[in-house]
Amino acid sequence: MNVADTIAHHILDHDWGLSLGGFRLPITTHSVTIFAVSVVLLVVLWWASRPHTSKSGRLVTTLLEEYVSFIRDGLVIPNMGAEGHGFLPYFCTLFLFILSVNLAGMIPEMKTATSNISVTAALALCSGGLILYSGLKYHGVIGFLKGFVPSGTPVWLVPLIFPLEVISTVIKVCVLAIRLFANMLSGHMVLICLLLIIFIVGKMSVVAGAGALFPAMGLEIFMTCLELLVAFLQAYVFTLLTAIFAGSVIHTH
Amino acid sequence: MEDLLKPDFGVMILTICNFLLLVYLLKKFAWDSIIHALEKRETQIATDKQQAEQARQEAQKLQAELTEKLNRVADEAATKIAQAVKTGETQREQLLADAKAQAERLIVQAREQIEAEKNHALSQLRGEVVRTAVQAARRVVEQEINEESARATVERVLNEIKNK
Repeated sequence: MNVADTIAHHILDHDWGLSLGGFRLPITTHSVTIFAVSVVLLVVLWWASRPHTSKSGRLVTTLLEEYVSFIRDGLVIPNMGAEGHGFLPYFCTLFLFILSVNLAGMIPEMKTATSNISVTAALALCSGGLILYSGLKYHGVIGFLKGFVPSGTPVWLVPLIFPLEVISTVIKVCVLAIRLFANMLSGHMVLICLLLIIFIVGKMSVVAGAGALFPAMGLEIFMTCLELLVAFLQAYVFTLLTAIFAGSVIHTH
Repeated sequence: MEDLLKPDFGVMILTICNFLLLVYLLKKFAWDSIIHALEKRETQIATDKQQAEQARQEAQKLQAELTEKLNRVADEAATKIAQAVKTGETQREQLLADAKAQAERLIVQAREQIEAEKNHALSQLRGEVVRTAVQAARRVVEQEINEESARATVERVLNEIKNK
């Protein structure tokens, strides 16, 4: 197995090869990770949302309320206005879900499912669906389509502007998926490459490999800290951009 | 490595279903109750804040009223004090004038009394002088009259009068 295969093995999703009646079931390492994260989130949040009498329970509830308050007042309401209030559960789930899946890769034997383009594309499609739903809900079909043409545009420019605006919206959604995928993938690739330095150098000379151990581990720790930051940052960016795009559809220019 | 960008539609559909189901379940079992509790608490805080603001305004209004009342009372007190001082001053002047008038009256009365006493003493003295003069004259008459004896007699009589 060469270096590229080793990296690919670490990064790529692994199909478990399950099928039902000849139909392939998409049970892969990443889909199982996503399912596990979902179950954990569901159980923890259900427990945390219940009324508590203990001090620690009340602390968890307060933290959760602060989290909801942060999503509502920091992301949703400033970008979507009062109309965003109804979408608050979606955004609360989106941020926590992306963050949890990002961080799941830090747990041994688990994978960062957001380094899979299929997963990030699925999340981007959900956000795209939300943007479409917001536009249709508040403006209707005609109003939503009119929103793609900025006010004051000369009539002769409309056939040019309209497809451009539609493509722009589609690209925005695609970029959501690519940004998250690329950021999480690159972090993991760097981590595995740093580890591989030890083995590559060790293969050339055992002493040199031992010498490369400590610098490589130091960089590994630094990159892990950076990965933690990126995990939070990307969850925030994905949620924020979804809110901004949905807001721009609701409050058209 | 080219598999990195190859989408797995099965995983994609499964992720969409998984995520949307999670959104629904969390909305039903977690977010609704948390958002409700949060909004309830915020409403409570807003109500409390409004009540506190109302109470503050009422307190300010009351304070303004009390200050106004206090100022009014202070003004009234100052007016009354000024009035009392004025009355006191008038009364003092009146008393002084009365006292002065009485003192003058007493002085006049005393002077009259002194005058009367003096007149009385003078009349008594006059009577005494006359009696002494008569007495001296009688003695002179009784003695042999010469200039020296008469003078001695008069001088003796005058000394007697002086000694008296």
